[in-house]
Amino acid sequence: MGYHLRKVAFYLVALWAAVTLNFVIPRLLPGNPVDILMAKLQQRGGSVDPAARQAYETLLGTGGRDSFAQEYLAYLGNLLRGDLGVSVSAFPAKVTDVIGDSLPWTIVLVGLATLISFVLGVGLGALVGWKRGTWLDSLVPATTMLSAVPYFWLALILVALLSSGLGWFPLNGGYDVVLDPGWSPEFLGSALYHGTLPALTIVLSSVGGWLLGMRNMMVSAMSEDYVLTARAKGLTGSRVMVRYAARNAVLPSVAGFAISLGFVVSGSIVTEQVFSYPGIGSKLLQAVQNNDYALMQGIFLVITIAVLGANLVVDLLYGLIDARTRDRSTVS
Amino acid sequence: MTWSGKLAAGLGLAGLIVLFGLLGPLLTGDPATIRDIGLTPPGDGHLLGTTITGQDVLAQLTHATRGSLWIGVLVGVMATVLSGVFGIVGAYAGGVVDEAFSLFSNVMLVIPGLPLVIVVAGFVPADQRGTWTISLVLAITGWAAAARVLRAQTLSLRNRDYVAAARVSGEKTWRVICMEILPNLLPILASQFVFAVVLAILSEAGLSFLGLGAADSSTLGTMLYYAQNGFALQREAWWWFVPPGLIIALFGGALALVNFSIDEIINPALRDRVRRRRDVVATTPVAAPVDEDVVLTVSDLNVVYQGATPVHAVKNVSLTLRRGEILGLAGESGCGKTTLAYAINRLHRPPAEVTSGSVVLDGVDVLALGPEELRAFRWVRLSMVFQGAMNSLNPVTPIRAQLQDVLRTHRPSMSTSDREARCAEVLRLVGVDPARLGSYPHELSGGMRQRVMIAMALLLEPQVMIMDEPTTALDVLVQREILNEIKRLRDELRFAVVFITHDLPLLLELSDRIAVMRGGEVVEYATAEEMYLRPQHPYTRQLLASFPSLTGERGALIR
Repeated sequence: MGYHLRKVAFYLVALWAAVTLNFVIPRLLPGNPVDILMAKLQQRGGSVDPAARQAYETLLGTGGRDSFAQEYLAYLGNLLRGDLGVSVSAFPAKVTDVIGDSLPWTIVLVGLATLISFVLGVGLGALVGWKRGTWLDSLVPATTMLSAVPYFWLALILVALLSSGLGWFPLNGGYDVVLDPGWSPEFLGSALYHGTLPALTIVLSSVGGWLLGMRNMMVSAMSEDYVLTARAKGLTGSRVMVRYAARNAVLPSVAGFAISLGFVVSGSIVTEQVFSYPGIGSKLLQAVQNNDYALMQGIFLVITIAVLGANLVVDLLYGLIDARTRDRSTVS
Repeated sequence: MTWSGKLAAGLGLAGLIVLFGLLGPLLTGDPATIRDIGLTPPGDGHLLGTTITGQDVLAQLTHATRGSLWIGVLVGVMATVLSGVFGIVGAYAGGVVDEAFSLFSNVMLVIPGLPLVIVVAGFVPADQRGTWTISLVLAITGWAAAARVLRAQTLSLRNRDYVAAARVSGEKTWRVICMEILPNLLPILASQFVFAVVLAILSEAGLSFLGLGAADSSTLGTMLYYAQNGFALQREAWWWFVPPGLIIALFGGALALVNFSIDEIINPALRDRVRRRRDVVATTPVAAPVDEDVVLTVSDLNVVYQGATPVHAVKNVSLTLRRGEILGLAGESGCGKTTLAYAINRLHRPPAEVTSGSVVLDGVDVLALGPEELRAFRWVRLSMVFQGAMNSLNPVTPIRAQLQDVLRTHRPSMSTSDREARCAEVLRLVGVDPARLGSYPHELSGGMRQRVMIAMALLLEPQVMIMDEPTTALDVLVQREILNEIKRLRDELRFAVVFITHDLPLLLELSDRIAVMRGGEVVEYATAEEMYLRPQHPYTRQLLASFPSLTGERGALIR
């Protein structure tokens, strides 16, 4: 099987695992989510007809009326139709609509912050490794310390200092609420302004991991023979560093993207809560607080699909930057 | 800081925090006592001030630290056990078990942990959400990355001789794993455990902050949750909000230091080195050229590795190389021949230093060149072919890019098509199909890779080429072909060669003159014929005798 096929197959398995996990969790855990949901629905003036109850039961379990297999098939069928149920916390909005409204915020925020953090961390790591034995070495413990700090703690302190104290940034939200969301320059500017501090928090907390990994690989790569050959060839220092040492040292960082992306996404959920950012992370917490199980499951599924998708893209890119993986026959 | 310094500092700091969590609660009062002195700043009676309800922050901090550490240790142990089962056992068993375990770990790795934890915590009613539940969930979502690392390590250990020996001698599987494999994995297991503890404390803090933590525990996370909901920062009660986060950060930082030192124990290349110094400390003034025909003169060269006990690797070596001549450099490994070759091109790395002597190549005083002059000098005047072409080529770029790099740097005015044509030309010279320009190194055979390296060395038509054991890793037939190629090219292009090898009989066939090195000194320096017929030094005789004569007469195969 080719490299690409194998990767796609793996992510399909992972996707299936996530979907199934999503199905199994409410059925295995204690509590009776369907009853809670129906009660909530009634409070909000929703219809409590058998159809609504059945929809939730498909999602969360019928309490033994239908067999596991029947429930599973019905659940998969709903997923394939793109039906994730109705949210009770945002009743009568459908879960898909709630997610559709909040997802772009998170994708832009987390996507940009991850990209900046990756580029910054890998770039600095390469430099720190290359210029070993200089003052740059002190960047390593400094950034590691930053990654040991809880995201939300750092975020709240930054808000207290930079927003409340100095007034440089807004306190919370994703945009100025007097503006209408749209593609107008005012709105985009406001969104950018509101997103800066959350993004800064994510970058500060995650850059250390990239930096350390890259620096260590760089040090190993520098003792490789091809770097010695490159120096003997009389290439300029920057060319040896970028094309030979860093080009090889970056591979594990790219291969380990999955692990890091998981951290960043997790951290950003908490960060969104701190900033009341209108993204999918604060919606998830809102769902948890309101026992909005349908929304909770929908969001978990979407976050997982997004992370799997990002990892698939990175893995396919990896095949491009390291020709050896394409020719290897075993699964690694 | 050295690795032991880091280890000591990290363990010391982490130990202090652990002591604080263990003993602190015994020394401070009841953290829940409510007083009517809400939000008192730090001072007498309350070292870290009070919360909004007048509770002592220090007392709360000690209990919270204890709670967080307990969860960290619980999760750390569970996650390490899980990663051990899936990583070590899977990799050791191999086959379907390994495939299945590895697939499972990889799937668990790509499913984002915290969202899953939040969903699980959301379904479990708050009154049933205890420390053990939360720890179990965190462990289940946190073991996969470690399992992957352990699997890779176990796979490599599994094939080592001593493990194979234990298996062949009929040891039980669990015994092999416990006695042969686990001890070698200990540094990695330790590092993964430390990592799991930090991650668990951070995740638990996040969960508690979101109000999804364990209901029955007080941790640094719950403390932050109450501080945040009591508007600690808005009321400028920093003494309530800052310390819990700081403890987490300090503990994480301390364990990161421990991990640094473990990394350095596993990978010595990461250890701090001596600061950069100059590669050339002193040189001898260059004498006037004696002979127009001489292209390279090395006079009284000394190279010393400046360690705790300096090693004098090259001692007063003097050599001359004429145009078109092949000079053989023979000697056992560690005799300084490679150090000498690197020093001629100033490629030696710290702590090696040239302490005296001179190197003159076609009128250029190499040891006196500035960094930029040295860079421009390399490969144009003197190119090198290294031992083991496998690793001398950059594995991630095609051959073309690596050949063109040289032209791009040293002949910037060359047009793209001329560059391409020149690269194809040198490949043809060494007998490699120019269609191979697009190949990656791993797609070429060992012999072909070495030919590509020689082609690369020819690119700029240098006067001197240093070849460091260029054929050692190749099988005998390919070795012959390449040696013949080198002789032919030398005859056609008239460059001079310094050929380094431990194989003296080979040099007798190939070279015009030979220098035999031992312990950093040239012990004998003569023409090949002279050395073959009348070896002077006992060491030379010993070297000659140690190779069985396969060919009878000298040169029987080559000429």
